[in-house]
Amino acid sequence: MADFLTSTHRAKWIFTPQQLVEKYRDASQRAIQTLEKCGATLMEVDSDGTMSYPEPQNSVKDNAEKHSRSKPLSIEEEQSIKVFYENKLQEVCKNFHFPHKIQATALIYFKRFYLHWSVMEHQPKHIMLTCIYAACKIEENHVSAEELGKGISQDHQMILNNEMIVYQSLEFDLIVYAPYRSLEGFMDDMEDFCNASEDQLQMLKRLQDTARLEIDKMMLTDAPLLFPPAQLALAALRSSVALHQVIDFDSYLSSLFSRQNSTHTMSELIEALNTIDSLVMKYKFPSDKELKHINRKLKSCWGQSSHDEGKKREKKSKHKSKKSSSEAHNAPPPA
Amino acid sequence: MGDGGSGNRGGNSNNSGGGSNKPEWLQQYDLIGKIGEGTYGLVFLARIKSQTNRGKSIAIKKFKQSKDGDGVSPTAIREIMLLREITHENVVKLVNVHINHADMSLYLAFDYAEHDLYEIIRHHRDKVNHSINQYTVKSLLWQLLNGLNYLHSNWIIHRDLKPSNILVMGEGEEHGVVKIADFGLARIYQAPLKPLSENGVVVTIWYRAPELLLGAKHYTSAVDMWAVGCIFAELLTLKPLFQGVEVKATPNPFQLDQLDKIFKVLGHPTLEKWPSLANLPHWQQDVQHIQGHKYDNNSLYNVVHLSPKSPAFDLLSKMLEYDPRKRITAAQALEHEYFKIEPQPGRNALVPCQPGETFVNYPTRPVDTTTDFEGTTNMQPPQPVTSGAAVSGSMPGGHVSNRSVPRPMNVVGMQRMPHQAMQAYNLTSQAGMGGGMNPGGMPMQRGVPQPHQQQQLRRRDQMGMPGYPQQKSRRI
Repeated sequence: MADFLTSTHRAKWIFTPQQLVEKYRDASQRAIQTLEKCGATLMEVDSDGTMSYPEPQNSVKDNAEKHSRSKPLSIEEEQSIKVFYENKLQEVCKNFHFPHKIQATALIYFKRFYLHWSVMEHQPKHIMLTCIYAACKIEENHVSAEELGKGISQDHQMILNNEMIVYQSLEFDLIVYAPYRSLEGFMDDMEDFCNASEDQLQMLKRLQDTARLEIDKMMLTDAPLLFPPAQLALAALRSSVALHQVIDFDSYLSSLFSRQNSTHTMSELIEALNTIDSLVMKYKFPSDKELKHINRKLKSCWGQSSHDEGKKREKKSKHKSKKSSSEAHNAPPPA
Repeated sequence: MGDGGSGNRGGNSNNSGGGSNKPEWLQQYDLIGKIGEGTYGLVFLARIKSQTNRGKSIAIKKFKQSKDGDGVSPTAIREIMLLREITHENVVKLVNVHINHADMSLYLAFDYAEHDLYEIIRHHRDKVNHSINQYTVKSLLWQLLNGLNYLHSNWIIHRDLKPSNILVMGEGEEHGVVKIADFGLARIYQAPLKPLSENGVVVTIWYRAPELLLGAKHYTSAVDMWAVGCIFAELLTLKPLFQGVEVKATPNPFQLDQLDKIFKVLGHPTLEKWPSLANLPHWQQDVQHIQGHKYDNNSLYNVVHLSPKSPAFDLLSKMLEYDPRKRITAAQALEHEYFKIEPQPGRNALVPCQPGETFVNYPTRPVDTTTDFEGTTNMQPPQPVTSGAAVSGSMPGGHVSNRSVPRPMNVVGMQRMPHQAMQAYNLTSQAGMGGGMNPGGMPMQRGVPQPHQQQQLRRRDQMGMPGYPQQKSRRI
């Protein structure tokens, strides 16, 4: 793969914790403003990929009524929703038996997408599926949208509707580096390092399997947006070594440093690994009760409630037939 | 499943959504006309209208929608994703991506290159009637290898190198600089998910490496080097080296004639010289066909009119080595003696600096001004030709050569656009996200460093990436 050192991944998509906080806050605030102005936050994405915000409510009463109903999600609640769908994403990829690489790519796409947007603006279920679809396309494991939609009994049209906005939000930086491959590299290196015998090779294999599961966990945190893949892989290896005690990790690290001209000091690296560990420790899957509560809030932000589901569908189909003639830019919508 | 829009649709995005209106992004360009056509779609020449970079030429590649209604064209997406990661003087520069929401097609905007090796070779063969001078051949080849070495060291195989994909910049700061283009078939080659050959036809057969013709499933960067060898020979003789007749069938028919053309010139490959030959499907299955004729002698030097002892011939024959594992790599080729002897290669391949050397005024690219972005419609009546266009004297027939705008003034440094100017016409304005609602502004420019600096940094990063031969400053 193209070189990580010169990649867009390294240049544009590794952030400081402060930057991440700001991005989440900006997206959230924009959604909250829309909620206040319009009473709902969900952006409509058409079959041609164009997007629009909900129309501001003209009636003050209506607005007030809506407003009293819809409370925006807090940033923590947004995180919970993302965590939920990131787990779903892993599940879907497993069910389709996609290679690990695709799952990792899709997860990174999903994370990057929600650096730009709030879950109040774009439905994470749709975006999750679109990210999987895009990852398959990029990694040359082409699956048709229809197939993907069928596999999880969803209308595949929304995948196609969202495809372009996903690419745009990713700024067309579609080559991403997952830690799994870095791990393989370190494993090869370790074999040489400890001049492994047959027995040891078996142990190393177990070490790798555990490390891979560690990475699966990291991929569900913010860590992939904060650290380069090689550091994630090293952190996973360290946790795995702590469990298996196959090798002396510290001396392996020292040997790595002695062989490479690293731009980091050893203590910087250790600090990074510690931070990654703590992110994994802090990871928490929301309870059913929490999820239910957040989902209810979210639906209300989207302007959805169970009873107008049917109305909405009707509106959509009506809108579709009108689309071709709607060339007026900012014309007021029909009353 | 509805998309759950709450209320009325409103605040329509800044995209006009089809109809007869020009999409907004298009209004930043003056469309000149169509300059190319391929299976992927069409290429147009346009000029920038905005104050900064006014008149700068841009090639806009329009991708056809993917046929099966399966979303955004994978070829387009793949080309974009690779080009986003690479920056090199000898690789075409993607300056922008535009989206036509009406039909979900993608438009890629590149720095425009006036020439390509196909046209340069054709001009010499049909118009000038003499060979391309040695300095130009060597400089073109060196730069092609330099770009290719960069790609290969980034694990990218181009897979479709041919003269028409090797562009050469016209007058201006980058005059005579080679740009490798068309990455639609290019791939990153770490552990492919599928054997690459399963994706159907790859690489025009004249430039296709023998291991591919013999059915190799996995291939390596050596296929690009074979193509470079073929192009090198074509630059020398002005004729394609191995002009086989293509068998048209799907998928991947056995191209006996192409192999026969190769064997005729290079002699039959032997297991002795190419041990893995035994494992190639067609070598086993089609033995009698392949071995039908007996060609024992290598007559390459006769075909290309080179002395077998010359460095040029030595390099060429190393590129046309049968065994892909023994074939010379781009990095090795750059170090070859051929590039160390006079005339040494330079940055402006088209204009040698030694007095007395002939240099050819290559014609500008033919432009079909009757085709608009939709690809077919006859738009406006032809515009008057200004004096600036008169330079394009010998235009190949069959095209309307109607250059309505004089060639751009070339100011040093103009090719590298300042960051601000990039912002002005990048994704922000056509993201279709509604005024002011594009979070993050999504600039195409990556990272902080200017492209120019970045490239230098990179060159230092890349081990074994030779810089220009030392004469660089002398040539410019």
